[in-house]
Amino acid sequence: MREEKTERLASAEKSGKKEVRNEESVREKSGNDKQKVIMQVENLSKTYIQGKIPVHALRCACITVRKGELLAIMGPSGSGKSTLLALIGTLEKATDGKIILDGTDLTSVPEKLLPGVRREKIGFIFQHYNLIPTLSALENVELAMRFSRVPKKEREERAKALLEDLGLGDRLDHKPSELSGGEQQRVSIARALANRPALILADEPTGEVDSKTRDSIVRTFKELSKKGQTILVVTHDPEVAKECSRVLRITDGTIKDN
Amino acid sequence: MFDLIIRNITNRKVRSALTICGIALGIFAVIVMGAMSENFHQTFERSMSVTSDKIRVFAESGVFGGGLTDDKVSDVLRVAGVKDAYGLLMTTFDEDKMGMTGKQILGVPPEKSSVALYPVELKAGRFLNPGDSYSVVVGNNIKREYGLQTGSKFEIHDKYFTVVGILDYTGSIFDNAVIIPLETAQDLYNVGDSVSYIFAVPDERVDAEMLSKRIELSVKGTSTLSPGELEVQAKQSFMIFSVITISSGLLAAIIGGLCVMNTMLMSVAERTREFGILKAIGAETRDILLLTLGEASFMGFLGGILGILVGVGAVYVMNAWLATTRIVLFLITPRLLIIAMVFALLIGALSGLYPAYRASKMSPMEALKHA
Repeated sequence: MREEKTERLASAEKSGKKEVRNEESVREKSGNDKQKVIMQVENLSKTYIQGKIPVHALRCACITVRKGELLAIMGPSGSGKSTLLALIGTLEKATDGKIILDGTDLTSVPEKLLPGVRREKIGFIFQHYNLIPTLSALENVELAMRFSRVPKKEREERAKALLEDLGLGDRLDHKPSELSGGEQQRVSIARALANRPALILADEPTGEVDSKTRDSIVRTFKELSKKGQTILVVTHDPEVAKECSRVLRITDGTIKDN
Repeated sequence: MFDLIIRNITNRKVRSALTICGIALGIFAVIVMGAMSENFHQTFERSMSVTSDKIRVFAESGVFGGGLTDDKVSDVLRVAGVKDAYGLLMTTFDEDKMGMTGKQILGVPPEKSSVALYPVELKAGRFLNPGDSYSVVVGNNIKREYGLQTGSKFEIHDKYFTVVGILDYTGSIFDNAVIIPLETAQDLYNVGDSVSYIFAVPDERVDAEMLSKRIELSVKGTSTLSPGELEVQAKQSFMIFSVITISSGLLAAIIGGLCVMNTMLMSVAERTREFGILKAIGAETRDILLLTLGEASFMGFLGGILGILVGVGAVYVMNAWLATTRIVLFLITPRLLIIAMVFALLIGALSGLYPAYRASKMSPMEALKHA
């Protein structure tokens, strides 16, 4: 397996595509980059107007995230966790504040350019996996790269490599309905990684899987984090939070611990 | 992106098939109705080109009103600017079929038969000659239907005629014409010296429109139809006919379009979450538009192809069936096929426009929350 991976890396590097990160070099590099701030959230607020009543979903949130961090966001239902994730993921507009991700202030990016930001800088992992049911595992991972106009051959190679890395080499052509919950979530992780984003946002990624699968997903996150991938995980599960490098707690739209 | 469009269509096989059938039905109607209109148009155009140099002189009471007799021919001939004039008797060949077959008896002075029919040419034999009485020249369709050749005997109104000439195919009314000497026709149908109308041929330098008015003023009890007036009148009739036939076809096609819109709206509603996912992973508005619009347009394309194939097939079968009665009702032209295909694509694209707009405007967050 190890030999196979090295072979693939060698061929990918030879073709100049930097297909898969070389574990050794990434580990070495991530050591140097660990101190690098990948995301800075400053006084981020979100107020919804329900009828005529303003509802403060998030108040003056300030977060600093370093490259390679595996950060857990915990809090009761309705505390603002998902709102924070949606704002960082540019799925919603902030009422106030700034989100600087990988040098780009996401709050000032024009609406038209947001899909590009989501493609290039952010990867999403959802609780319900949110895979396209009519596409195979490989095609679901490829899909993220289609919108980035990655050539077909390169898309296929990258998607295949990612799925193989996540232990789904023999499930490439399976539709989501033919995969277990854990496998679907791993396809979802592969899809999030497809465009090599600066940040992965995971919303209750273990919410629908058994404890064994949960542990496997958390292990995958930790491995990715070690390789320098920054991951924000919204979770209710203390077992997941325990494995993260840092935990943020949100109550009533306010971050309590940082 | 095209593979995704195909996949979306094939994933909902029954619904897509029904939608495609809806469009196909509309395009089928456009083809059948259009083919009828095209046939009418072609016959009109060719008939016009054959008779466009002559002024028609009718009795004031109209072509069926009677009252126009041979002696009026000499009155018309006396009008300055008239180069030639001759009367024609026109009646239906199949009286029992109320003329539905389009076959006509044309009584023509034998010495004028070649000029009256000009520029129609003979395929075999000769035109009528002075002195001919029970001789007949037949159009191409009549020849084919009755298996005639020059020298054959042909029964008209219980009398046997000898076929002396067969006209070349023209695609006009002359293909179904049975041309016999005028006097014989008058005797056969017992109309005395009546004629249906008089053809007046203008001199080369005379304005046909002016001459037409002059004849009307000079020859009492007549009304005229100049080539220009005939064209306008025929075009108006053709336009009305076309509007009726084409609009019934279009109506069916528009119903097909609504069928696509309904399917696409359902599809967009069902795939709300999917669009949310696509947007979350970076799909642009144009990607969503392309997917939805592409799906609708492709269904329009498939419906168009199917409609055209079935329509052409039906026209072929109907023409073959009608051939036994010599009624030619349908004509498929490249123009009609192009119009039908463009229309099918337009129906698909326009019907997909609103659903595509709705899909592209969805907020990704709201779409992701959709169950």
